Amino acid sequence: MKGSPRAKARPSGLSGRHGSAIQNPFQEFQSYSFSRNDIPLDRIVQSTEAVMDQIRLGYEKLLEEEAKELVWMVQYNTIIKAYEVAERYVRDIHYSAEDIEDFCFALENTQKIPYLIPGPAGLYISALCNYAKEEEILLKLSELKTEINLLGFRLTKGKRLLIEGDAGDFTGIGLEGGDLVVEGNAKNWTGAGMRSGRILVKKNIGLHTGEWMMGGEIHVGGRVRGLGNIVEGQVFEREKMVFPGKVRHPNIDY
Amino acid sequence: MEQNGYRKQVRGIYRFISDHLYYNRPDIEVKGEHFNSAILLSLLTALNRGKELIIGEPGLGKTTSAEFVCSLVYQFPLGVIWGSEVSGHPEQTEEKIIGRPDLGKLNRGEEDVIWTNFSQIPVKIVDEINRLPETKQSMILDGVDRGNWEYLNEMIINDEYCLFATANYHDGGTNTIIAPLVDRFDVMVESRYPGANLSFLVGKKRRKDEILRHPRYEKELYRVLKSKIDYEKKMTQMEEVCSAFGEHLHEALGVRPLQRQDRDKIRAEMETLGLDLDASAFTRMLLAECSFCDRYGQKRVVENCEEGCHYTSYLCHDIKNCASNRLPTSMTQYAQALAWLLGDSAVDIEHMKAITPYALSHRVQWRDDTLSQKERSQRDDPFPIFLAKEAVKAVSQRYRQQSDYIKDALAIGAKIFQGESLEPLDGDHPLYREIKKDVEVRQH
Repeated sequence: MKGSPRAKARPSGLSGRHGSAIQNPFQEFQSYSFSRNDIPLDRIVQSTEAVMDQIRLGYEKLLEEEAKELVWMVQYNTIIKAYEVAERYVRDIHYSAEDIEDFCFALENTQKIPYLIPGPAGLYISALCNYAKEEEILLKLSELKTEINLLGFRLTKGKRLLIEGDAGDFTGIGLEGGDLVVEGNAKNWTGAGMRSGRILVKKNIGLHTGEWMMGGEIHVGGRVRGLGNIVEGQVFEREKMVFPGKVRHPNIDY
Repeated sequence: MEQNGYRKQVRGIYRFISDHLYYNRPDIEVKGEHFNSAILLSLLTALNRGKELIIGEPGLGKTTSAEFVCSLVYQFPLGVIWGSEVSGHPEQTEEKIIGRPDLGKLNRGEEDVIWTNFSQIPVKIVDEINRLPETKQSMILDGVDRGNWEYLNEMIINDEYCLFATANYHDGGTNTIIAPLVDRFDVMVESRYPGANLSFLVGKKRRKDEILRHPRYEKELYRVLKSKIDYEKKMTQMEEVCSAFGEHLHEALGVRPLQRQDRDKIRAEMETLGLDLDASAFTRMLLAECSFCDRYGQKRVVENCEEGCHYTSYLCHDIKNCASNRLPTSMTQYAQALAWLLGDSAVDIEHMKAITPYALSHRVQWRDDTLSQKERSQRDDPFPIFLAKEAVKAVSQRYRQQSDYIKDALAIGAKIFQGESLEPLDGDHPLYREIKKDVEVRQH
């Protein structure tokens, strides 16, 4: 550990610059024999900080490469490219599901992360979730003021992602068999292009729900504001199937 | 200590007050022993020459508890204590608190001061201090801090004194006790409702304070206090009358009050009790949390704690002001007194943990969001004492987790100060940073 007692040659003495005795504020501990160099808590803190630094660095690199002007447009090719960059950094980091949660919290609550751009942040978190060891990941986002987009992107089969709070646009797009649960609301384009798996939004969902969806299920506990052009799959509103069904007007409030 | 029986004598006083004079429920446990905090801390204040602020609802024994303790520790009949109390009201004057010119002599062109009983006797009780304007509060606390009472060009010096001030909860007639003044009190305690059943007993037993009165000795003491002899001689005469009253109490009630030399010996014994390493390290840990600011160097009431700071899980995040240097003094003195009372050979962490909430509660200014978070928590104590107890609990939990490591860090600090070339330890607590700062001063 950094602070381990290492003996170095240095002149000793108790006098200050002007020859006056310096008060030793630790006098009573003089006879205490120290032995331990670190404690488990310290090791945990240090390793957690090291992991967070790596995760943070990956996000900063992603921003550097994909959002140079701090502007990021959601387009098919930009999403794919940004996700590939995120994957590149994420796959070499050894982290746990808690670290992802810490990163989400740090996005808004620390000055160490300079910018929270909802799109790249969501893709980066999605990559972290997809590469995590754990099968089930819980993200507590209810404290965040910003809604993060693109959460659950390409969530793979066998993974379950639970989001406490609201999710932004493009939630669960390109889902690849995973199980995505949003405890709050989700905005527009949820489940767009998903291939298989299940999305459960416990409150309301926005427009273009399931746009170019190729399979899987979207369950909504509240109200579906509008469906997109769905190719295949099922959408349920309050347990009632709305696609395939009679109401087939895309993006129209009903 | 064991042979001279002082501890037994003091415990006898505690028991007598608790059984006969101030009905109460025990509300503090130290090492398996239960005490009532109001009596215990008043007793320690009287023994320790301390300053205690007693808060509580009207009529719940704030003043009387202090009076009983003072009467038995200093052997003053209650009548004299009553006659020396300062009562808080906005029109209170320096002349009624400290002294006034001798008008007879003034007519003859001579300047002399008639000192009040309050300034002369060692027992100083201020009733409802928060009804006094701030200037008068300050005057009293200044006098008590220094032990000097000045009026015109004259001065008397108290070499033994203690202060008890009572305060009602804030109402229309109260002023605020401003932070610099409240900081001068060593401890704050609540005189609490004893419960419906004991309260009913209080109602049945009328004039229980009569047993601590003695009209003859009271008259004698008044005569001495009014006399124009030198203050030191006056004190000697007063002590003689007090000793006679003490003997009377012993014969009549079976409780033996403390004489001046007993009190001096007890204080000397208390001062010999050192802090063990855990008590010292725990105190340093608490002080670090109450004063540390990563961003601005130290806590200042005018600066806000920033969100996103690494140290947000420590007390420094929840409080606005910086711990004063009076805090460790109060903590140590009272912990020494408690350790002495319990018959322990050194001050340990249990003594510190028991005393700290009462030394801390009135000194901490909590952030508004912390207050609103905890305002409605289930509790038995008044809000400031509850918050201080919670804070002490949190710090002691952190201390448990890393006590050995903290002691290592302090020991390495000691060795660096001795001239050894070592690296200070890193750790996740403000205290490690404080150690580093001290060590850097030494190294440069």
